[in-house]
Amino acid sequence: MPAGAVPTAGPQAAPFRRVLVANRGEIAVRIIRACHELGMEAVAVYSDADAVAAHVRLADRAVRLGPAAPAESYLRIEAVVQAALDSGAEAVHPGYGFLAERATFARAVEAAGLAFVGPPAAAIDALGDKLHARRTAANVGVEAVPGTLEPAPLERADQVAAIVAQAETIGFPLLVKAVAGGGGRGMRRVATVAELPAALASGSREAASAFGDGSVYLEREISPARHIEVQLLGDLDGRVVALGERDCSLQRRHQKLVEEAPAPGLTHDDRIRLHDLAVRVAAAAGLRNAATAEFLRAPDGAFYFLEVNTRLQVEHGVTELVTGFDIVREQLLLAAGRPLSAAALAAAARAADPAGHAIEIRISAEDPARDFAPAPGRVVRWAMPSGPGVRVDTALEAGERVPAEYDNLIAKLMVHAGDRDAALDRLRRALDEVEIAGIQTTLPFHRFVARDASFRAAALSTGWVGEHWDGPADRRRAMERAQLAAGLAALAGATTADGRLTAGRPSVAARGRGSRDGSRDGRWRLAGLEAAQDRWPR
Amino acid sequence: MTEPSPDPRGVRVSVVDGTAAGVPPLILRDRPPDTELIAVDDVRAVVATGGPAGARDQVLLLPPSAASTSSSAIGTVRREVVVGGWRVEVEIEPAARAALRERARRGREEITHSGPTDVRAIIPGVVVSVSVVAGDAVTAGQQLLVVEAMKMQNELRAPRDGTIERVAVGAGTTIEVGDLLLVIS
Repeated sequence: MPAGAVPTAGPQAAPFRRVLVANRGEIAVRIIRACHELGMEAVAVYSDADAVAAHVRLADRAVRLGPAAPAESYLRIEAVVQAALDSGAEAVHPGYGFLAERATFARAVEAAGLAFVGPPAAAIDALGDKLHARRTAANVGVEAVPGTLEPAPLERADQVAAIVAQAETIGFPLLVKAVAGGGGRGMRRVATVAELPAALASGSREAASAFGDGSVYLEREISPARHIEVQLLGDLDGRVVALGERDCSLQRRHQKLVEEAPAPGLTHDDRIRLHDLAVRVAAAAGLRNAATAEFLRAPDGAFYFLEVNTRLQVEHGVTELVTGFDIVREQLLLAAGRPLSAAALAAAARAADPAGHAIEIRISAEDPARDFAPAPGRVVRWAMPSGPGVRVDTALEAGERVPAEYDNLIAKLMVHAGDRDAALDRLRRALDEVEIAGIQTTLPFHRFVARDASFRAAALSTGWVGEHWDGPADRRRAMERAQLAAGLAALAGATTADGRLTAGRPSVAARGRGSRDGSRDGRWRLAGLEAAQDRWPR
Repeated sequence: MTEPSPDPRGVRVSVVDGTAAGVPPLILRDRPPDTELIAVDDVRAVVATGGPAGARDQVLLLPPSAASTSSSAIGTVRREVVVGGWRVEVEIEPAARAALRERARRGREEITHSGPTDVRAIIPGVVVSVSVVAGDAVTAGQQLLVVEAMKMQNELRAPRDGTIERVAVGAGTTIEVGDLLLVIS
């Protein structure tokens, strides 16, 4: 922990003396680092599952919120606000997830006299309501995905008949979506008019249970579609700028797996046009601080507005890499009432001409052979890549548990290079350096993506994962290779009494020159490295 | 069916849950040609097949955990191998032992299909009670008799369906391992 006087941060004074970070995991670590770079102290909050977690260790002080369950810890608005007041914090950064898009939280923070590092509560409310956001877009001439602009009334049979007529105008297949939605909950795909009434009823039920609001609306399904989003910043003067776009088409169950910046295949003019659409919607909604406007791109190249996320995105790092601009630092400055910085304006001016290409993959504790089912547990080995153009955002270390209570994301691996081909080469190389044991992760899927010809050709769509990825087949091959490796090691007697590999037994191909190094480990390591340098034995 | 005599060399490697994934156990007696395991350090290695132009995979061979070693059968080692990001649990045992175990299993299966079965003592002790007499029809799992050993009462249950042909012991009989207790036909 830093001790002593707070350092001065560059030419500007620190925007706050102390900031509470109302989150955990990699994003809490990311924000604490930005606080320290600005010469501010960071206050962590934690549940019992995270008492010795990385964000707690890195922070200058930490406040316990409660037991592991989110509802008893990270989602307790009063406890988080009280922790901020008790610790003398002047601002609260919510990260993403948990309370980040709850207007009631933003209001509680502001009511306590603290600065909320994010859009104002009114903007969170307005944009969190998907229909309100769609109407806002329509008012400023931004075309949303074709569909309805009012909640579908479901109470009476004649109302349902009216919806059927609307649905036929929109065209099939279409989607029933939750007004308060997110993460695909309350969403139903409807292929024919006959399926519509049941989909409306079940989608509404699911939405009511997930969000406490059963309102649903209709949207045309655009397929194949690319998911492209625009990073936005706004200041108190009402100025809103775009920092560039990201392609997040690779998803499963509406959760992103791979994100890149810029979106491949867009022209300079496409970018100018897309960024302008995003800025218009956000400005009309009164956006401040940071947010992201999401669009679908149809095969004919048309952009359709989807929604605005009023928070820092998981994938903000790829935009940081191609702009060379720190979004979290800017968020903290904006929250203190500063105008958009010169660096932000310069990055925005270059937004349609990005410098190089960045790709992020999300390493999650999930089994990619079992439909990405959660796979928490204890990590026994953990090595992350490094080297030119590689950034890893994580809060995990070997020996730590991935708790079952929280998000499965355990690391974001980002690469940056001069162009997309070079970035993909770099991604493949970096993934080869990753070592994780003890838990199953999405790493095999990412290794596949980095080698796949259609991904390299940027043939992206939101259906890509289902069309290209065969997890069980990929796993079967790995099982056979694992069998062979374990069999060869056992056959050679190539393990010590405690089961560790020893590289020197006869039929294991480590051709060391005897006991050049006295220590056992050192000798085998050298022998192994020699074999690795001259890989094929005669 | 004649069994080949067990090869003293070789190992049998089975993937835990591998059968469901279509990966049968692998029996390795010799290192196959053009196949190498190149150890890089005490955990990392490269498995190479098919010669210089063939396949190469980086693997992590984790040491067996103490818990996994004690919970599995004697002589069987369970360890985690990571290939291409896939976490694979394998069980390794001497091929000879695996062959014996397999033969014993098949033997048991054959017994359940034909001929009379001798039920013999598997622990020494004193017979406390016998619940069947010759001529009784029994079903697999039904209690036949109770043996007390080391102050513990152990139930002996029928290994298969059948009829009791003969009872060789009574309450109070002291028995040693291998003594005939009864015969089921």
